[in-house]
Amino acid sequence: MELDDLEPKELEELERKLRLALQRRPAPLGLKQRVLAQARQRRLEGRKVQQGRGWVLKRIAASVLLAAAFGGFAVYRQQEERRKGEAAREQVLTALRITNRTLDRVSDHLVDESK
Amino acid sequence: MNLQQVLPWRQETTRALELEELIDRHQSMVFSLAWRMTGDRGLAEEIAQDVLLELDRNLGKLTSEDHARFWLRRVTMHRATDALRRRQRREPGWEKGFWVELEERHGLAEPELDSPLGARVEALLAELPEAQRAALLLRYQEEMTPEEIAATLNSPVATVKSQLQRGLKRLRAKASQSLKEYVRGA
Repeated sequence: MELDDLEPKELEELERKLRLALQRRPAPLGLKQRVLAQARQRRLEGRKVQQGRGWVLKRIAASVLLAAAFGGFAVYRQQEERRKGEAAREQVLTALRITNRTLDRVSDHLVDESK
Repeated sequence: MNLQQVLPWRQETTRALELEELIDRHQSMVFSLAWRMTGDRGLAEEIAQDVLLELDRNLGKLTSEDHARFWLRRVTMHRATDALRRRQRREPGWEKGFWVELEERHGLAEPELDSPLGARVEALLAELPEAQRAALLLRYQEEMTPEEIAATLNSPVATVKSQLQRGLKRLRAKASQSLKEYVRGA
């Protein structure tokens, strides 16, 4: 210890006086009540925010579901249109094939008649 | 009423009771540390309130009474040191003699608790550099060992021991006449 100009007994006494002088002071009146009230208030506000957040999340989820439903319907419509287009195309091709065969037969008939 | 409705209410009541018990046990420690570090009773009250509110936020992380005490001391010392530094930046030279002036002019001393020696020691403590003041407070108010002080202040043990020695030496030098009278006259 650097305090070599103090005798051990003096140092001991100094430390004893320090301990006495530095005993804890009582907290101010009302400190506990203020802290408890603020803690309670903060918890209530936290709960409101959570409930609010829950409501917003539900709205977002509902919007997402609706968007998915509309999107799905749009895709279905698109596919339906494509299917109808394909069917119409097939009909045209079939008609052309029939017409072609008919024309071939007519042509053959005319050739036979000319002979 | 189903379990889900009952449990949150019960948890909250338990938590509120736990907080109240901890405040009852530790508020004077928190306040005393803050006051003796800052030398300002009003500021010490603010710090104590902030620290105890912070305790409420951290209740779930504290695992034992010792852990709570360690946490409170650490946070109080940090907040008090921060508050001191902020004030010193705003008002350089504020700290010098502030404690004595406050006590003498505004009568904020508590006569039933203060002895002349106690008031004098606190005034002298306020004149020490903050690191020495912190070490002496934790040693003589809280009866902590240098190792415990080092853990609280996040400082090497050798540094804490050096601060204790220098702090005591300075206290003694500043109050050599009056303290010697008390020490020798007792």
